[in-house]
Amino acid sequence: MAQGRSNGITPRKVVLAPLDPVHDVGLKLIRRKLLERGHHVALLPPDLSMEEIVARAKAEDPDFIMISRALSYGISELLAKFVDLCDAAGLRERAKLVAGGLSMKPVIAQELGFDAGFGPDTPAEAAVAYVEGHEPGLSTGGRRREKADLTAGFTYKFRDAEIGSLCTTIARQLIDWASKRTSSGVERAHLRIEMESQRDSNTALYPRLRDEYAALTSGEIREWYLTGKPVSHTRPVTEKEAGYIRSLWENADKIEIPRSQEILNERNVFVQYGTGCPVMDAYHISLSVAWGARGVVHFDPSWGARNEGLLEQAWSHEHDGTVLTLDNLRLIRGGIIPGILWQVRAHRGLNTPETVVLAHLSGADLTKINIVYGSLAAGADPERLAVDGVEAMKLAAKYNLPYDVVTNEELAGVPAFKAFAGMLIVAAAGVLLGGRPLLQPLFANSPEGMIVGYTEDNFIDFNVAKMKVLSSIIDAPIWPGAPVGFLTQTQDRCQSSVMTALHAALALDSGATAVTIASSDEAYAGGPITAPARVDSLKAAAAALRFFGQGGIRPTPEADRIAEKIREGILEVLKKVAARGDFVASLYEGDLGDREDGAYPGRSGKGTVTLKR
Amino acid sequence: MSVRHRILDGCDLETFIVCKDVEEGKTLGLRLMAELGFEDADVVFCEMGGPGVRIRLRGYVYRPSADYQWYDLEV
Repeated sequence: MAQGRSNGITPRKVVLAPLDPVHDVGLKLIRRKLLERGHHVALLPPDLSMEEIVARAKAEDPDFIMISRALSYGISELLAKFVDLCDAAGLRERAKLVAGGLSMKPVIAQELGFDAGFGPDTPAEAAVAYVEGHEPGLSTGGRRREKADLTAGFTYKFRDAEIGSLCTTIARQLIDWASKRTSSGVERAHLRIEMESQRDSNTALYPRLRDEYAALTSGEIREWYLTGKPVSHTRPVTEKEAGYIRSLWENADKIEIPRSQEILNERNVFVQYGTGCPVMDAYHISLSVAWGARGVVHFDPSWGARNEGLLEQAWSHEHDGTVLTLDNLRLIRGGIIPGILWQVRAHRGLNTPETVVLAHLSGADLTKINIVYGSLAAGADPERLAVDGVEAMKLAAKYNLPYDVVTNEELAGVPAFKAFAGMLIVAAAGVLLGGRPLLQPLFANSPEGMIVGYTEDNFIDFNVAKMKVLSSIIDAPIWPGAPVGFLTQTQDRCQSSVMTALHAALALDSGATAVTIASSDEAYAGGPITAPARVDSLKAAAAALRFFGQGGIRPTPEADRIAEKIREGILEVLKKVAARGDFVASLYEGDLGDREDGAYPGRSGKGTVTLKR
Repeated sequence: MSVRHRILDGCDLETFIVCKDVEEGKTLGLRLMAELGFEDADVVFCEMGGPGVRIRLRGYVYRPSADYQWYDLEV
C-alpha cells in the first residue's frame, strides 16, 4: 500500500535497485520523494546479483524498475544484460525500465533498451515526474517572474534620532541652496524631456530644441551634434545588429535557469554589464539572467561623465562602457524580461539629471545618484553635482524611480564614517524630495579596512559592522556593492569567484535587500569581461548560498565595536557639516573626505552653476 | 566555418605547464595559444608552484563591437 499521503496522484509501484555494492544514496532520496507523493516503493538492498534483482522485482509486479549505477566500469555490458534478463522474465510487458546514477549517460541507457536514462545532474524530482507521467524538466529550473520592489516595507524613518535630526537639517539646507541655482546639466535634462515629446512630430519645434541642446554640449559630443562626426572609438549600431538583438529577445521570456541556480530566485543578485556593444550586452544579459541574476546594471563609458551632453541614436563602443543614449537603452530594454530589474546609473557626472530622464523614458526600474561620491572620487565639481544631483533626485521622485546612493569613495580611501555621513545626507535629501533611496555601502576590503586593520583577521566584521550601523540609523533598504568584494578578488578565477560569493552571502545574511556581484574577471584588466567569467561568479554565489542556507555567518564581537566606532564618526562629521551650514562648502573643505583620505574635489563642470533668474 | 566563430567572446584555457619560473610559463602559454590559432591572446592568471605554473590563458575571438559571426552560423 501507499506509504505516503494521497494527493490525487495515481499511486505507482516502483522498484528501486542499486547495481553497485554500496552506492544507493540517490535511490534513497528518490524513495523519500516518491513516498511523500503516495507511491508504493520497494528499495532493494545493495550487492544483489542482477538475477536476484529481477526475481525480487517480478514478485513486486511494479510499474517502474529504476536501477542506479555509480561506477562506470563495464556499465554498457551490465545494462544490456539487465535489459535481457527483464525481457526474459516478462517484466517489460508492464514495467518501464529506468537507469540513472553518476556514471549514466541518458542516450546510452536508451540505446541499450531502457525506457529512460537520467544523468548525474538529474534531481530526484525528475524521477518522480517521470513516474507520474508529466514533463520532468530535467535540466532546467523555474524562474521567478514577479519583479521585486526593493524599497517595499521600508519607512525611511530615522531610528537614530540624533543622526536623523542632523541629516535632515543638512539635507534641507542643501535643497534650499540648490533651489536657487541651475546648470547646463539641469537645462539639458528638461530640453531632453521636451525633445522626446516632440521627437516623432513634424513640427519645427524639435530641430529648434535640438539646436538649443547642442549649444549646451561640449567636446566630442558637441562635434557630433554640429557635424555628425562620431565620438572616438564608436560607430553606429547597424540595422542588422539591432535585428539580432531583437531576435535574441523574441524568446527571452522563455529563459529558464539551471536547477543548480534556482536558489538565486529568492535573492536579488545584480550583475553589471557594459561591454560597449549593445549586441554583446544583450547576450551577456541573457546568459546572466539564465544563470540566476535578478537584476542588471548598465555601465556607461567613463567619458560620458566628463562631457556635457549625451548622444542620440544607437552606438557601439570599442572600449568599456556602453554609450548612454535613449536608442541604445531601448534596444537593450527589449531584453529586460519580466521579473528582472534594470538599473541605469546617473550618479557621477555632468549628465546626471538627463540620465534619470533617459532611465525613465527607457523603462528602467532603478537609477543611481550620489552627490558626494561623484564629486569627491569621480571627477565632477561638487557645486555642479550638488545642483544636478538634487535635480536628479527630484526627477527620480517624479518618475517614482528608486535609486541607490553609493559610497564608492571608500575605494579612494575615504573612511566609512565620512562616506556614510555623506550617503545619509543625500538619502535624507532624497526622502525629503519624495524619493525612495537605497543605501549602497561599499562591501569590500576598502583601503580603510587595510590601513586601520579592520580586515586584518577576516572580511566579515568590518562589512557586518557597516550593515549593523546603517540599519541602526535608518529603516531603509541596503544594497551593498558595487560590486561586493572589491580589492579582495585576484586574477585567479577560483579565488575571485569564491571571494565574490562569500561577500554576496555575507551581505544577504546580514540583511541586505539586494547585492551586486562582479564577474570572475573583476581583477583582470587586460580585456573585456567574458561570458564564462559572468557564469563563474553566479555559480559561486549560488553555491555559497546553498552552503550557508539558514545557517548564518557569525561575526566576532569586533563587529559591534567597529559599528559603534563608525557611528561615533558619522555623528562627528554630521555635527561639523551642520555647524558649517553649507553642505557644498563642506564638500570642498574635506569634511566628507579630504586629500589625506584620498578624496579630491572634482573639476569637471567647475564654474558652470548659475543663479536662477 | 570553424566552431571557433561560435564562441561568444573569448576562449579560456586552463592548464599546468612544467617550467622553471612564471616568466617562462607565460611565454610558453602564449606560444601554446599561438599554436592553437588564437591571435588575440593574453595571460589572465599565472602562478608558480612546485614543478610549474597553473595558468589561465585567454584568446579573444571577438572583442565588443567586432563583426560577430555567431549570429547565423551553420557549423
